[in-house]
Amino acid sequence: MKIVHVVGARPNFMKVAPLMAAIERAGFAEQLLVHTGQHYDAQMSDVFFEELGLRRPDVFLGVGGGTPTEQTAQAMLGFEKVLREHRPDLVVVVGDVTSTIAAALAATQQHVRVAHVEAGLRSGDMTMPEEINRVLTDRISDLLLTPSEDASDNLRREGIPEERIHLVGNIMIDTLLACLPRARKRGTVAKMGLEPRRYAVMTVHRAANVDDEATLTRLVEALERVQERLPVVFPAHPRTARQLQAFGLDGRVDAMPGVRRVEPQGYLEMIDLVAHAAVVLTDSGGLQEETTALGVPCLTLRNETERPITVSEGTNEVVGTEPKRIRTAVDDVLAGRAKHGRCPALWDGRTSERISDLFRSQIRITLPYFAAGIRV
Amino acid sequence: MKIVHVVGARPNFMKIAPVMKAIEAAGFAEQRLVHTGQHYDASMSDVFFTDLGLPRPDIFLGVGSGSHAEQTAKVLIGFEKVCLEEKPDLVVVAGDVNSTLAAALVAAKLLIPVAHVEAGLRSRDMTMPEEVNRILVDRISDLLLTPSPDADANLLAEGTPPERIHLVGNVMIDSLFSHLQRARSLEVPEKMGLDPNSYAVLTLHRASNVDDRATLEGLLGAIERLQQHLPLVFPIHPRTRKQVDAFGLTGRVKAMENVTLCEPLGYLEFLGLTSQAKLVLTDSGGLQEETTALGIPCLTLRENTERPVTVTEGTNTVVGTDPETIVREAEAALAGKGKAGRTPKLWDGKASERIAEVIRRFASDRGLV
Repeated sequence: MKIVHVVGARPNFMKVAPLMAAIERAGFAEQLLVHTGQHYDAQMSDVFFEELGLRRPDVFLGVGGGTPTEQTAQAMLGFEKVLREHRPDLVVVVGDVTSTIAAALAATQQHVRVAHVEAGLRSGDMTMPEEINRVLTDRISDLLLTPSEDASDNLRREGIPEERIHLVGNIMIDTLLACLPRARKRGTVAKMGLEPRRYAVMTVHRAANVDDEATLTRLVEALERVQERLPVVFPAHPRTARQLQAFGLDGRVDAMPGVRRVEPQGYLEMIDLVAHAAVVLTDSGGLQEETTALGVPCLTLRNETERPITVSEGTNEVVGTEPKRIRTAVDDVLAGRAKHGRCPALWDGRTSERISDLFRSQIRITLPYFAAGIRV
Repeated sequence: MKIVHVVGARPNFMKIAPVMKAIEAAGFAEQRLVHTGQHYDASMSDVFFTDLGLPRPDIFLGVGSGSHAEQTAKVLIGFEKVCLEEKPDLVVVAGDVNSTLAAALVAAKLLIPVAHVEAGLRSRDMTMPEEVNRILVDRISDLLLTPSPDADANLLAEGTPPERIHLVGNVMIDSLFSHLQRARSLEVPEKMGLDPNSYAVLTLHRASNVDDRATLEGLLGAIERLQQHLPLVFPIHPRTRKQVDAFGLTGRVKAMENVTLCEPLGYLEFLGLTSQAKLVLTDSGGLQEETTALGIPCLTLRENTERPVTVTEGTNTVVGTDPETIVREAEAALAGKGKAGRTPKLWDGKASERIAEVIRRFASDRGLV
């Protein structure tokens, strides 16, 4: 059996890394890693591959640049060639980025089976490009690997046949738990001169938050108010850095004494920072989950979340983008009134093994699906 | 308000033409027509524009042929530029071709509302590229304009919010009724030396039927036997011609004495031909509907149909691709044992007016008109 894994952007890497390792250990399939190059910032990608122990991509499509739609088009063209050349039995896509839907669509058009890792997440907001990517990818995937029961329920409501839905748990947590000891050894917190539990981490990168001047201005104001209370580490995503500059907000951020504006961090540095933070403020989906797994309070700077389990069971609170509300929420956390969450079921570091077992069992059960090139 | 309509392939034209006419008549919107050029064959496109009285496209993307990914990708890139330039308030797509999906995806990502004409059809066969396109387009469209209640039920089963679904009827039938008289006056069968109601018409174009050698050979075997009963007209799709050639079957087709092989016909000529046929054999979706509206027995050469109302109410029988079954069913139909059928509700020639009204209301709710 031949499996092609597709990554395109930062959040994909930590989902694919443990899965490839688990399949490698199980030894039932030949694997190929395709990097679409959607995130082309070397700092964001190269470091990641090293830190996660992920092998260098076998194929690099180099689609970077252009509008998301142009990236979709380029990724489809490039990936179709990969499919024709390598004729995989299964394509694995993860998450909700442009490359995810592009690869899933190209594979479906070539009648190659698709497995979607992190299926079933829904924010209910179809103006988010990620939501469109999620919904469409789930509609055409053959194996929907969900992180939690709410995700499985979303798929059922959309009429997805039960046999395609597989609750496997949260694969990001596999990576998190595996990397945590190494991350601690880096001593990132100490190197930045920070004291554990005495600082905040803030990240924003979503189109809805950084492309709209009024919203980004509000978030900068929120940052201003939070840094009055405690130091804030602020790793600026390339897109965010660009927009801050475009809207002339750069100087204002730089003038804030409590803000450590840093480049995007490597994965190990980032999880060390997050694990020791007093509070995390973010619009990232992954960070909402990681903070829940780590028991660190998280304030989500959006109006909704596609990961409701981090709210119903974990440490997450959705606070929106109003500076006053954000500051109040931070004050509450620092006053010890933070949510006490617990780690959801199957967020146990063994999700990748469950997925690997499932793939192996699928070969036997649905042999015709994997008709070509079986090597088991 | 400004509406951009997208057509890419032959079956899109007869769906968009009446919609543009009805909106024009209602007079509430400025309209633009974009032709992606997915079907680039002049005999398939130019004639259609003329026959249907469709305005010439304002914008031609010229994406041409290519693999699925190539076509989808080229429309994605070309249509995004159109949207950024034209800034439409609504994009109207029709049917289930690659251009339909690509245009809808571009619009959804740019937060432009999408109306899908002929929404909710499902064959439940995900190996059909059209099925993938339909399902994805329906997931991202704001106005789902359905031809029949079964389509509504499909969408509801997928969790589609009911307020997005609008049962408007079959817009293809609008085109059919408004052109039928003119089509018949062309005397197409007579010009082919055939008597009305005494011949069969065959069309084949789907990948699953023509790209697989064994299937195509089986189908031609059935035709070989059938043409011994009655004359058969076979307008051959470019893709089918290519495959017949590639499999070395051209000689065999030409040797069938009672088969009239011809190029794909214009809309009016083809309607003139099918409307006076005794029997139609096809893998086309549109023809299944047209024969039901015309009351002519239709044998669908596929294992399934995304238009079940043509079977439950109309004249359609899904016979698959087994030669024995095809010949048996054809003989039954010719012996007068074909299905009688009736025209489904809202296949009344007024679907485009209802679509115009749905769009007008949508626009007025948003303060666009």
